[in-house]
Amino acid sequence: MSSDSRFVPLVLKTDTEPNMIKHFTSTACKFFTLVLVFALISFNNYAQEISKDPAAINAGQALFNANCKACHRVQQKLVGPALAGVYDRTPSIDWIKSFVKNSSAVIASGEPYAVKLYNEYNKTQMTAFSSFKDEDIMNILAYIKAEADKPAPDAAAQPTTGGGGQPAANAGLPSTYLNVILVGMIIILILLLIVLGFLVSALKRFIDQKTLTEEDKEVVHPTVTTGSIFKSRGFVFIVVFLTAALGFKAVINGLYSVGVQQGYAPKQPIAFSHKIHAGQYEIDCKYCHVGVMKNKSATIPSVNICMNCHNQIKTGTITGDAEIGKIVKAYETNKPIEWVRIHNLPDLAYFNHAQHVNVAGVECQTCHGPIETMDVVRQHSLLTMGWCIDCHRKTDVNTKGNAYYDNLVEIHNQSKKTPMKVEDIGGLECSKCHY
Amino acid sequence: MRFVTSLFVGLSAAVLLTSCGAGGEDQGTEYAPNMYHSVAYEPYTQIVDEDAGRWVTSIEYPDGHAEYFNSNKFNPSRMNMREPAANTVSRNKNGWLPYRLGKDSLAFAASHMKNPLDSTAEIIASGKALYEMYCDHCHGPKGAGDGKVAAGVKIDGVQKGNYNGVPDYKSGALKDISEGHIFHVITHGKGLMWAHGSQISPEDRWKIAKYVKTLQK
Repeated sequence: MSSDSRFVPLVLKTDTEPNMIKHFTSTACKFFTLVLVFALISFNNYAQEISKDPAAINAGQALFNANCKACHRVQQKLVGPALAGVYDRTPSIDWIKSFVKNSSAVIASGEPYAVKLYNEYNKTQMTAFSSFKDEDIMNILAYIKAEADKPAPDAAAQPTTGGGGQPAANAGLPSTYLNVILVGMIIILILLLIVLGFLVSALKRFIDQKTLTEEDKEVVHPTVTTGSIFKSRGFVFIVVFLTAALGFKAVINGLYSVGVQQGYAPKQPIAFSHKIHAGQYEIDCKYCHVGVMKNKSATIPSVNICMNCHNQIKTGTITGDAEIGKIVKAYETNKPIEWVRIHNLPDLAYFNHAQHVNVAGVECQTCHGPIETMDVVRQHSLLTMGWCIDCHRKTDVNTKGNAYYDNLVEIHNQSKKTPMKVEDIGGLECSKCHY
Repeated sequence: MRFVTSLFVGLSAAVLLTSCGAGGEDQGTEYAPNMYHSVAYEPYTQIVDEDAGRWVTSIEYPDGHAEYFNSNKFNPSRMNMREPAANTVSRNKNGWLPYRLGKDSLAFAASHMKNPLDSTAEIIASGKALYEMYCDHCHGPKGAGDGKVAAGVKIDGVQKGNYNGVPDYKSGALKDISEGHIFHVITHGKGLMWAHGSQISPEDRWKIAKYVKTLQK
């Protein structure tokens, strides 16, 4: 949205500038519309005035949305210029018509305004809309003019969006308040306990000064104190047992974590977020990891794949242009980005992505976890042999529509009633993965 | 007292072992590390540190590098992958040759290139699957130019950046383009769309072209 503000002055200028056509048409509106409609029908060549007829505006809006909206807005520069006032600033309405129908021909003819425009917009050529009739272009202009003459809707829209954002920010406050209140209450409780402790000891000292019966003394100074409980055999046994059991569990857990890299989430040279790309924009995993259907490796995207989008999207909402700038720099200097590999399957084991994703149809998330929610990717699964084998024992072979498996399924069904698992076709053979 | 000592030893062993696990930046402890690292060049498991694994090095390599180092010093940026040699021609199993028309030959491609695939339901279905992989997020599910990347998304009331200039397939200028035109544009890009030839094989591009034509009806 930052790009909008840059063009506000331009928009204001077109709005505040005294506009001859606007002035004239507003005074003699009715009469003029009649003349215009008449002119449009009878003398097409003289129909250079922009219609205010709602029918024309509606037709123009439909055409604009279907054909122009991709690159143009009325009040805002996008790929192409903002179109408000285009009927005033260009050489003539006829010029607009010929430019829309075939911009490259106009530029090739050396017409100065067209050439200037072409160079100003980085030599981006406008698509030729040769199927447009003059009438269509006039309708589009009618729509553009109607939109441009509306009192700036952006100014009215902004406060509402700002207001919409604030309650969301406020919604976070009560929870922090709650936490503060909770902590405060706990502190008060602890203070109360301390005060009570003091009271008890003071009371004891006060009672001790008086002469008491044996029974009363036992109440004041019980034989079973916390100290005596700590020293008792039972208590010591429980403590030793629990410590030993927990220690043993920790040792076993520790031993099992050797060689397992689950949870490994290294910092990457560029803070790329899968949450934004795969989660929010819903870009298919395979768009970037192009090898996953064909190769052993899913492949890490090369810089040109990043640049497919980031040639235009150059500022991120979180890190601005700092992180995206690194991609652009790598592209311009032709230096590969040295990403840190996260899933390091030992060299002693073979794994092929194509077999699992293309043939078996396993979802990426089955092994890689909820990647689309991760800002920093971590290894989700164990990637141990037990983990592989467990899945091979449980999973049915995806034989649907795959003639390769037809005979195997037939032989399997002769001897067994259960569906064919990966295990049944050699999914546990040592040499499938270790050779 | 002996019991307490053994307990203490056990606990410290447990604490030591928990540090073997991976997490965050820490890759954890490897078991049998010299079976983990490939000695041969691997494109994606590349170790650039020449001293990596010095402690398990038992062979004297002529250039003195340690056990794990497996990068090619003679390649640009020490990469293990290289671009194919100049003027080599890659062929796939169907014997297809690479597409050689240059980016500026769009008009020629549009009028001369014919889709070698038939319009069977199977081809169009796989074209749809490929479209959903490679095109959908910009061009939108129906080709209206309203994919999430093109239109931008709103997260927590904040509008995220968008990729402007994605046309509607049904717009007047694009409605009647040929499959050859679509194929050429996927390969080399056009206007704001960059080249996707490196990501999508020629056969898949023709399948997508077939499917795009069904979207334009």
